[in-house]
Amino acid sequence: MRDDDEEGRRSRWRGIFGVSTRRLWKQATTTRTGRMAASTGAVALTIAILLVVTGIALALANAGVVSQADAEATVVPEQGETLSDVGGVEPAQLGAANERAERIREREGVDHASPVLVETVRLESAQGDDGGESGLVLLVGVVPDDEERSVAGLPTTGLEPGDPHYAGGSYDGPRTGELVLSDAAAERLDAAEDEEFRVVGNRTATDRTTFGVAEIDAAAGNERDADVPVALVHLSELQSISGASAGELADRVLVWGDADAAATAGEDAYPNATVETAGGTDPSQLFDDGLAFATSLIALVVGVAICAAFVATTMGITVNEDRRMLAVLEAIGFPTHSRLAVVGVSTLLTTLLGAVLGIAGGVLGVLAVDAVAGATVASRTVAVVHPLFVPYAFAVAFVSGLVAVPYPLVVAARTNVLAEVGR
Amino acid sequence: MKILDRSGRGQSASPDEGASTAAVRLDDVTHEYGTDSGRFGSGNDRTLTALRDVSLEVQPGTIVGLKGPSGSGKSTILHAVSGLLVPTSGSVDLLGTDLTALSDRERVRVRREHVGIVFQRFHLLPSLTARANVALPLVQAGVPRTERRERAEHLLEQVGLGDRTTHLPGELSGGERQRVAIARSLSTDPDVIVADEPTGELDTATGAEVLELLTSLGDDRAVLVASHDSPTLSIADDVVRLRDGMVIEDAG
Repeated sequence: MRDDDEEGRRSRWRGIFGVSTRRLWKQATTTRTGRMAASTGAVALTIAILLVVTGIALALANAGVVSQADAEATVVPEQGETLSDVGGVEPAQLGAANERAERIREREGVDHASPVLVETVRLESAQGDDGGESGLVLLVGVVPDDEERSVAGLPTTGLEPGDPHYAGGSYDGPRTGELVLSDAAAERLDAAEDEEFRVVGNRTATDRTTFGVAEIDAAAGNERDADVPVALVHLSELQSISGASAGELADRVLVWGDADAAATAGEDAYPNATVETAGGTDPSQLFDDGLAFATSLIALVVGVAICAAFVATTMGITVNEDRRMLAVLEAIGFPTHSRLAVVGVSTLLTTLLGAVLGIAGGVLGVLAVDAVAGATVASRTVAVVHPLFVPYAFAVAFVSGLVAVPYPLVVAARTNVLAEVGR
Repeated sequence: MKILDRSGRGQSASPDEGASTAAVRLDDVTHEYGTDSGRFGSGNDRTLTALRDVSLEVQPGTIVGLKGPSGSGKSTILHAVSGLLVPTSGSVDLLGTDLTALSDRERVRVRREHVGIVFQRFHLLPSLTARANVALPLVQAGVPRTERRERAEHLLEQVGLGDRTTHLPGELSGGERQRVAIARSLSTDPDVIVADEPTGELDTATGAEVLELLTSLGDDRAVLVASHDSPTLSIADDVVRLRDGMVIEDAG
């Protein structure tokens, strides 16, 4: 028989898929528009809400003034590979950062490379012994060059090019003591240019180190984090204060220049680290930010559950109404697996169609949330869209469809052909 | 057609012997609803005997009518012949194959390849065009799409609906729908056609057209028509009268 050969098998499955699709299309456009609108609308709504929540989580993860830089590539330590995560106290850091950044700088296509160390430090005015204004500031250590670059949203040009205190690793070169404050930091410290500040605390012998305000600058391009007090200093001077000089430690290494060359140089210098290239929002940051990750994970789980419940319910009702159709298919010679395939294909197609509408709705939702928040309460971006949302939405819809499909299949499998065609 | 001698079961014509000529052969078929998942199976402990020791044969090229009031077992015979149910006892031979000895899957295959069914209420899929409805059995048969379309259009042409191929069932009259259903039953070129009250939902004139169509189904097919309507049964070469699940006379 024809249906025993391979070609017949392919024709049969193509035919079953085609019949399911055409039937669904006619139902959507002609015979059962209301039911189809309910099924796809439910999926679309769930996917749209999922995308909006994920967009908000992504914006949350990407917030953080210290990660703002105009470098083409950023080398960050691989998270979760070291024991440092066990205590959850200190994140992993990059070692020998000064030396390796220097080697990266020598690579062709690389304009500049700088390790970045971030420490929270209490600064107080050095005017008088009673101490003036003091406050916690995020000190960001960098190695500036003579080009205008942005690190932590602040221009490096306020600092003297180079890092003289490093002195080839001996950390005994002359200190510049320069400090570039963001508006927020200046406000918190009530600082003016040329004012002296000293580091408060007893962490090292150099605690009495002072810094002079070289420049006060609004954290450019960072209006959403304008309230974070952040300040740039020379890397080695911060390493000396924090004790990071021992291993020439840094949190990340920024590389400027040709994007590919910068990324390659970063990978060669730190084969076990992750190199992030510039390009807008980085979804992988979701995994680094606990709150954002938890938010998006909850959105995913709830999204899949609700979407699957919607699909299972609406398709279960649809299949229940389609019992006669299934009975007719059996009567004209469709075996059980073919009949279930018709139901399965219909369910998954409905879900995917809902996903398409959901993606559109989700993107519009993100834009709307951001616009409304921006116009009312928020001073920064609260939700972002990313191209990965498209495959993400389809994957979620597909998984939801798979989770939902057993119910309509059970309803379909329990159809009694004689009871239906006999009516 | 002839009614087998029930008392002679096992001594007269053996099933194999009969199968060599008959397209359909029922031998001492008894069926009780309530003993399986049949029509009245759910939630009813009481059994209802729908067929009692029914034996009959249908030769290729003949039309056999099943006559009787509602509940007399007409539909049950058609369902047994098409393999939609397995009788409680007895054998149902279709072209020499005993359907009662086959698995569910094998019965579906035999039905697809050898039996065309025409229902009283047409049972077309409302979301598929007339052409797609006619081509539907060919999908499972693994026939390529272009071939399916050509065959479906040819059959619709034959039943006088060449200009209605892309219409949905909802856009067709009752008579037209039944003609589409007849075209569908013919799409796999079956050896046996079973029609359950094929004119039951149609007015007299339309019913006559459908009957004419059924009559012209071909010389080699065996056709079983169940009806309680005399004009419908007038197309039959032989008529079997049923009452309470038993054959009461061969009206042929």
